[in-house]
Amino acid sequence: MNLILIVFVVACVVVAWRRSGARAGHPEAWPRRIRAMGWGIVPLPIAIVAFGLFGANFWTISALLFSGIAVVLAPALAADAVSAGLVLIGMLGLLLATVAFSQGGLRGPRTVYARPLSALRTSDAPVARYAVIRPGNTSPWRNALILAEVAGFLGFGLWLVPRTFGANSWTLRELTGRVQRLAETRTAAVDGAAAELRRVERDLHDGAQARLVAVGMNLRAAERLIPASPQAALALVAEARETSSRALADLRDLVRGIHPPVLADRGLGDAVRALALDAPVKTSLDIDLPGRPDGPVESAAYFAIAEILANAVKHAGAHAVEIRIRHSEGMLRITVTDDGTGGADPAMGSGLRGIERRLDAFDGILAVSSPAGGPTIVVVEVPCALS
Amino acid sequence: MRVVIAEDLFLLRDGLVRLLSAHGFEITGAVGTGPELLQALLEHRPDVSVVDVRLPPTFTDEGLQAALEARRQVPGLPVLVLSQYVEQLYARELLADQAGGVGYLLKDRVFDDDSFVDAIRAVATGGTVMDPEVISKLLVRHSRNEPVARLSVRERDVLALMAEGRSNSAIAERLFVSEKAVGKHSTSIFAKLDLPPCGDDNRRVLAVLAYLNS
Repeated sequence: MNLILIVFVVACVVVAWRRSGARAGHPEAWPRRIRAMGWGIVPLPIAIVAFGLFGANFWTISALLFSGIAVVLAPALAADAVSAGLVLIGMLGLLLATVAFSQGGLRGPRTVYARPLSALRTSDAPVARYAVIRPGNTSPWRNALILAEVAGFLGFGLWLVPRTFGANSWTLRELTGRVQRLAETRTAAVDGAAAELRRVERDLHDGAQARLVAVGMNLRAAERLIPASPQAALALVAEARETSSRALADLRDLVRGIHPPVLADRGLGDAVRALALDAPVKTSLDIDLPGRPDGPVESAAYFAIAEILANAVKHAGAHAVEIRIRHSEGMLRITVTDDGTGGADPAMGSGLRGIERRLDAFDGILAVSSPAGGPTIVVVEVPCALS
Repeated sequence: MRVVIAEDLFLLRDGLVRLLSAHGFEITGAVGTGPELLQALLEHRPDVSVVDVRLPPTFTDEGLQAALEARRQVPGLPVLVLSQYVEQLYARELLADQAGGVGYLLKDRVFDDDSFVDAIRAVATGGTVMDPEVISKLLVRHSRNEPVARLSVRERDVLALMAEGRSNSAIAERLFVSEKAVGKHSTSIFAKLDLPPCGDDNRRVLAVLAYLNS
C-alpha cells in the first residue's frame, strides 16, 4: 500500500514535469515550469513525511491525494482562475498533512496505551480491566498548536486567493502583456502585408502592365504599317520585342522582392550564399542548418539578412562582412558582423525598423551593436523549428 | 544536331521546338519534368540540351539538378540552362566541373533567335556561354578590387562579351571595331588579370570565369 502511494506520487511529479515541459524550447520554459509547479509541490514533501511517520490512514492518504492532484494539474492548466483553485487544493493537502501530524502526535504513531487496573480493583469484581488513554487529544498545548497551525494556513490561503485571482497575479499580468503584444504584432503584420500588396500592385501597374500595353499598341501599329511600309513596321516590332524584354526584367525584380526563387528552390542557406555572391563586398559565411524553417520564417530571415548586408555596404562602407547562421534549442540565430564605420541605430533607419516589424510576427528579435567607428554586429533571433 | 528540350510550360516548349526545328536542329526529345529529363539525357546523349531550371514535380531547381546529375554521369554533356532569373550560385555550380559545354541564359534571350541559336551551337561544341547579367554581376562584385578596377571601359565590354562565349569576330562585330583590336584588348585583359594568354575561345571563357568566380 505504501509503495503504491509513493509510486503514485512520483508518477504525479513526472507527469506534471512533462506536461509543463510542453513549451520546451521557449526561453521562458524554466521559469514557467517552476512557477507552475510551485504551489502544487509545497504540501507534497509534508504529506510524504506524514505518510512515512504514521502509515496509511485517512488523513495521510487524503493529504497525499490532494497534493498529488495539485502537482499534476498546476502546470497543465496555467490559466489564472484554475491555478487559484489549485492553490486551494494544495492548501487542503497541507492542512490534511498537519492534521495527520496532530493525530499522530509529536511522540510517534497513534497507538493505544493500556495499563492493567489491578490497583483499582474493588472488593467484588473489577470495574474495568483496562483504562484506555489516547494521548494527543488531551494535551491543551497540543490542541492550541494545531488550532494555530490550521488558522495560519487558512489565513495564508485566504491571503493568497485575491492575489491569485486579482489583477496582480503573475499569470494574468503576463497574459495581458502577451495579448497586447500579439494584438500589436498582428496589426503590424497585417499592415505590412497590405503595404506589400499595394507595392506589388503599383509596381505591376507602372512596370510590366504598362510595358505590355505598349507592346500591344506597337504590334497593332505594325500590323497597320506592314502593307504600306514594311520597314517602319519592322522597327515597331523590334521595339515591341525590346519592351517585352524590359517587362520581363521588371517582373523578375518584382518576384525577387516578393520571394526570391533561390529561396524557394534551396532554402535559407543557399539563398544567403547567393546573396553573398551578389554582394559587392567580401562576404564570408558560416552556415550550419540541418533543416529548413517554415516558409514565412525563412523569408523573414532572408530579407533581414539582405537588408543588413545592404546596410553594411551602403551606409557603413564595409569591406568585409561575416554572416553566421545557427539553429539550436528551437532558436534560429543569425549574426552579421561588418568592419564598417558603425553608428547604426534601429530607431533611425526605416530598414532596420522594417526588419524588426517583420520579425515581431514570429516573436523574433533584432539586436544591434554599432559603436561609432564600428564594427557593427547585428543579431537576429527567431524561435522556430526546422523540418 | 540532336537536341533534347526540357520545359514544362506547353507554350514555351512548343515555341522552342518550332524555333530550333526551323534552324535545322533535330529534336530527339521534348520533356516536361526533371526525372524525364535525366532519363532522356542519359538515354539519347544529345549533342546539346536546352533545359528550364524550374521543372515539376517539385517546381524548384529540378531542371538544373537533372542537368548537373547527367553531367556527373556523362562528363561534358552539353547543357544550356534557361531560367526566368539568373543566380550566380547556379552559374557557379554549372561551371564547377570546368568541363565546358555549359550555358546559362535568361529566358528572354530566346527573343533574339540568331544569337540564341549561336549560343546553343557554342555550347554543343564545348563552349561556355554565360548570360550578360551573370557577367555584369561578377564585374560589380570585383569592381572595388584590383585588378578588375584597372580595366578600361572598353576592356570590360570585351571581357563581358568574352564571358558570354563570343568569338573575337563576333565581339568585333558587336563593338564595331576590327578583329585585330579585339585581339589586342584581349591580350591586355589577360595581362592585367595576370592570366596566361589563351588562344582557344572555349578555354579563354573558362579562364575568365574561373578568375571572376574566385
